Amino acid sequence: MISLATRMLRHRPGSSVATLLALALGALILTAMGVLVESGLRYHPAPVRYAAADLVVARPDTTFTSREFDGEIYRSTVALPEGGTVPAGLAGRIRGIEGVATVAVDENIAVHTGAGTPLSGRGWASAVLTPYELVDGRAPANDDDVVLSTDPVPGGLDSGVAPGGAASGGVSTGEAGRARVGEQVRLVVGGVLRTYRISGLARGNGNAAAVFFSDAHAAALAPHRGAVSAVGVIAAPGTDLGRLADQVGQVAGDTAVLRRADSGLAERSADGAAAGLLIQVGASFGGYVILLIVFVVAATIGLSVRHRRRDLALVRAVAATPGQVRRMIMAESALVSVFASAIGVPAGLAAAGWLTGELTSRGFVPEGFPMAPGVIAAAGATGVILVSAVLAGLLAARRISGIKPAEALGEAAIEPVSAGRVRWISGLVALTAAGSSAFAAVAAGGQTALGAALGMLYLFVLAVALLAPWINAAAARLLAPLLRAAFGTSGYLAAANLRANARGAASVLTSLVLAVGFGGSVWFLQNNLERQAVAQSRSGLIATRALVTGAGLSDSVVAEVRAVPGVRAATPVRNTSVVASVMGDGEVIGARAVDPAGIDATLDLGVTSGSLADLRDGTAAVSRTQASTFGWDLGEKVALRLGDGTPADVRVVAIYEHGLGFGDVVLPRSAVIGHTATNLDDQILISAPASADVALREIAAAHPGAALVDTGTVTGGLAKDLALSAWLNRLLIAVMVGYTVVAAANTMVMAALARRRELAVLRLTGVTRRQVKRMINAEQAGLLGVAVLLGGTIAALTLSSVVRALTGNLVPYVPPLGVATVLGGTAVLALATTILPIARLLRVPPVEHIGVRE
Amino acid sequence: MSVHTEPAVRVTGLTRTYHADGEPVHALAGVDASFQRGTFTAIMGPSGSGKSTLLQAAAGLDRPTDGSVWIGGTELSRLSETKLTELRRGRIGFVFQAFNLIGALTVEENILLPLRLAGARPDRAWITQVVDRVGLGQRLRHRPSALSGGQQQRVAIARALASRPEVIFCDEPTGALDTNTAAEVLTLLRAIVDEHGQTVVMVTHDPVAASYADRVMVLADGRIVHDMPQPGADRIAEHLATLGRSRAVTR
Ligand SMILES: Nc1ncnc2c1ncn2[C@@H]1O[C@H](COP(=O)(O)OP(=O)(O)OP(=O)(O)O)[C@@H](O)[C@H]1O
Ligand SMILES: [Mg+2]
Repeated sequence: MISLATRMLRHRPGSSVATLLALALGALILTAMGVLVESGLRYHPAPVRYAAADLVVARPDTTFTSREFDGEIYRSTVALPEGGTVPAGLAGRIRGIEGVATVAVDENIAVHTGAGTPLSGRGWASAVLTPYELVDGRAPANDDDVVLSTDPVPGGLDSGVAPGGAASGGVSTGEAGRARVGEQVRLVVGGVLRTYRISGLARGNGNAAAVFFSDAHAAALAPHRGAVSAVGVIAAPGTDLGRLADQVGQVAGDTAVLRRADSGLAERSADGAAAGLLIQVGASFGGYVILLIVFVVAATIGLSVRHRRRDLALVRAVAATPGQVRRMIMAESALVSVFASAIGVPAGLAAAGWLTGELTSRGFVPEGFPMAPGVIAAAGATGVILVSAVLAGLLAARRISGIKPAEALGEAAIEPVSAGRVRWISGLVALTAAGSSAFAAVAAGGQTALGAALGMLYLFVLAVALLAPWINAAAARLLAPLLRAAFGTSGYLAAANLRANARGAASVLTSLVLAVGFGGSVWFLQNNLERQAVAQSRSGLIATRALVTGAGLSDSVVAEVRAVPGVRAATPVRNTSVVASVMGDGEVIGARAVDPAGIDATLDLGVTSGSLADLRDGTAAVSRTQASTFGWDLGEKVALRLGDGTPADVRVVAIYEHGLGFGDVVLPRSAVIGHTATNLDDQILISAPASADVALREIAAAHPGAALVDTGTVTGGLAKDLALSAWLNRLLIAVMVGYTVVAAANTMVMAALARRRELAVLRLTGVTRRQVKRMINAEQAGLLGVAVLLGGTIAALTLSSVVRALTGNLVPYVPPLGVATVLGGTAVLALATTILPIARLLRVPPVEHIGVRE
Repeated sequence: MSVHTEPAVRVTGLTRTYHADGEPVHALAGVDASFQRGTFTAIMGPSGSGKSTLLQAAAGLDRPTDGSVWIGGTELSRLSETKLTELRRGRIGFVFQAFNLIGALTVEENILLPLRLAGARPDRAWITQVVDRVGLGQRLRHRPSALSGGQQQRVAIARALASRPEVIFCDEPTGALDTNTAAEVLTLLRAIVDEHGQTVVMVTHDPVAASYADRVMVLADGRIVHDMPQPGADRIAEHLATLGRSRAVTR
């Protein structure tokens, strides 16, 4: 069978090239996405901060357990967005265990240089965990002492004794930012600018320049109360570490006891965040693309099999069983998919390399992140391509192997127009499902919105694919008078062809609709999200000024701001995240923590029910989209976990509109104190007349890194942030749209080239070349009209229901240039991929084609 | 010899109705016939009279609307598509009216295809003999597209003979051949009946071709209207002529 399959393939290079192209591109995309996922999954953080600790007790993630329908326990583990904590008292209890030599608690204190460079702030006791060793001077003894690591500090250190004063910026100490013992240094610690004396210098292998405080001072500065980020344990020489880990585990309760190789998990690093991003991006887009590939591959293989009905029926008549024909087609598909993988997978690996470069240069992934070579991704992509090709082959073969061999003898290769009842019913079911999903509430959040849109889109396209024979036949009937009027005899022939070939043109219609539907919806989804986010943020900000900083603002700043004469209200805002479970899966939700006092004068969240005035401990406000996704109602008690994993059962006291601009959950600031990584405010929204600006600017100047900005600038920054993630979304959407376009082009060229015999017969019966061309134009116009109409309707339905769910707007924003591009692009595509191949066919004298079997 | 009393092919009450654009076309309107082993039957009749339809139904290539087909002792309507194919593969050869060959395969591969599909080892001596008989020894490596219509038809005959089937159905095997080649093909068919005891059923429009047969059946409008043992070319022509006239009159 395989060799017969090979022979048949080689005899029809056209359609096998088309299938090859569709599959190879699919393999390329899947491999590239697979490399991202594989890199993310295989990323195992190397121990740096706790490299010298034998055991580290920490809580890097949080787990949700739920019972499935079948009674199985389902667990979903999510990395904690703010980093977890362990009880501070744990250190004392561990110290008592036999075999423990040293126990040290570790906390990460937000420290910035005067120039805004972040430093890693720690207590001196934790230095042994890395380890850092003194090379000069002595350990910090009192609150004013610090030990600096010998790593160079970008931007230098601010000695504080320079004559220019605080506002004029730092003067670097020593050469190349190197400090000397006994010098003074000014650091922004806990949002406050302080002056310290360098008591010593230490050398160690940290991943950033570190600054060590005395343990008492560190404890006072620490972001958490009664809890610490981690407890490190160094065992006495000769201790059985396995046993020790068990003993520590018993004391540690439900926190994780990590051995040295895994201690990297307890560190919060850019690499860890990047790994999560890679998995998310690769897996979600890979998932969407798999469906797309299945569609495209099924269409292409289906079409190529259809074009060989005659050959296959003949093989049947010459005594091949239906099973043999099926196997032959499947063998063929498998063969093509193997070749396709051989081309697509290496190309995909190259594409992954390029993508990694782009992601790195755009800051999604840190420099030097260990990307996987992609062996598993390559195998996975090959497997997916193979399976989908073979299944598509099976599907197409099932249709063809049911042919009665007698059909092989029929002169005309026209197939029965009537398609099965099963197809009709499945088509209606798909249509109903698509229609109802359009009305159902759609999930929120950038990525999820895309998922919802794609789900709906796929259902619609599936419905079109199934109903295509009937759609084509109906369209042919409706269009016949139009075409005849516009194109004369050629139009008459075109209508007849459209009607007779209603079933054959199903793949072509489907791929055109897919391209138009895709191009017209997901592409514009991003525009809508961005516009809406910026618009919500702009209309929701009543405050005129904002004090913003990367270094964090301490409690005292709010008081200072509120004390400025003229300031009507000041709202400190913390950007954090909460974790909640949807259907058993833990999901991280962006949240803001605000001081509700005077919030009416700074923020308008577009509250639709409830009131922000009720916001206090044990309550939360949620966005409308979030509430509908999770099924939360006003007054309902919902189980959240704060960013550090602390359970927080909160009552929903308000539901608001502007989720895209302000995050999906708003908590009272008091609820998150001690539960965020820095325990500092990210910005203060200020409602004040311009006369207060001078005083406010003075406050800003006292806090290096902080700046007083117009609120218009805040929204501008939001747009820039969005544009960055939009770049990634756009790129991946462009890849998907591009793939559908290539697929459509593919099927149309295939369909056009398969008509050589038919066109030859027409020309031999006296239809001129010009008339044939006009006939093809008329057919294309008809087909294109139907595709644009259907694709446009699907795109509009999808886009508007997703946009409505996200923003409340029923009418999505569609840039006029975008519409022109979609329409023009489809027209050019349809013309170029049909008219050009046909023109080539027409250049050859018809007698040469008449003998060609279809 | 009870084997010889059982006909090679028997059809009873065979009807076949096509539905083209809603209107039923009765291609076969009740045909009863049996074809004895070791005989050569010609089926004639006007175009559209149902000859090809009868041949395909009898060969198990098409399922009749009603009636039954027996190949030896096997009734075909009860067989699954796979079983039917396997039966055809071993016991039936078919030469189609047109479009007989697979363009991707060479002449030789086309000839051996049924054997290959059956997973059977070809009988080399027999194949050589068949190929020589149809006069294609020099063209075995060529593609069908390089052959003339008549040559393609001869390849199809060789393919039908390759597995030494009990019954060979030919749909106008000589329609595209010149007189000499046609005579060669017909002699070949006659020989396999006489020398190997095989059964041949052939559709033809040519009275001369029909005169090679032991028996001539004439079909009109889906019914058998004449069944003549060894009538000779003149009588056949005469019958066909009367048929044509009477049909012209009835219209
Ligand atoms: N697939 C089909 N669909 C509809 N009608 C058909 C089909 N095949 C054959 N017919 C009709 O059945 C009748 C018998 O056709 P058949 O091919 O058996 O004729 P024939 O005797 O072989 O003619 P010819 O000598 O021209 O080959 C014709 O009227 C034909 O139009
Ligand atoms: Mg015929």
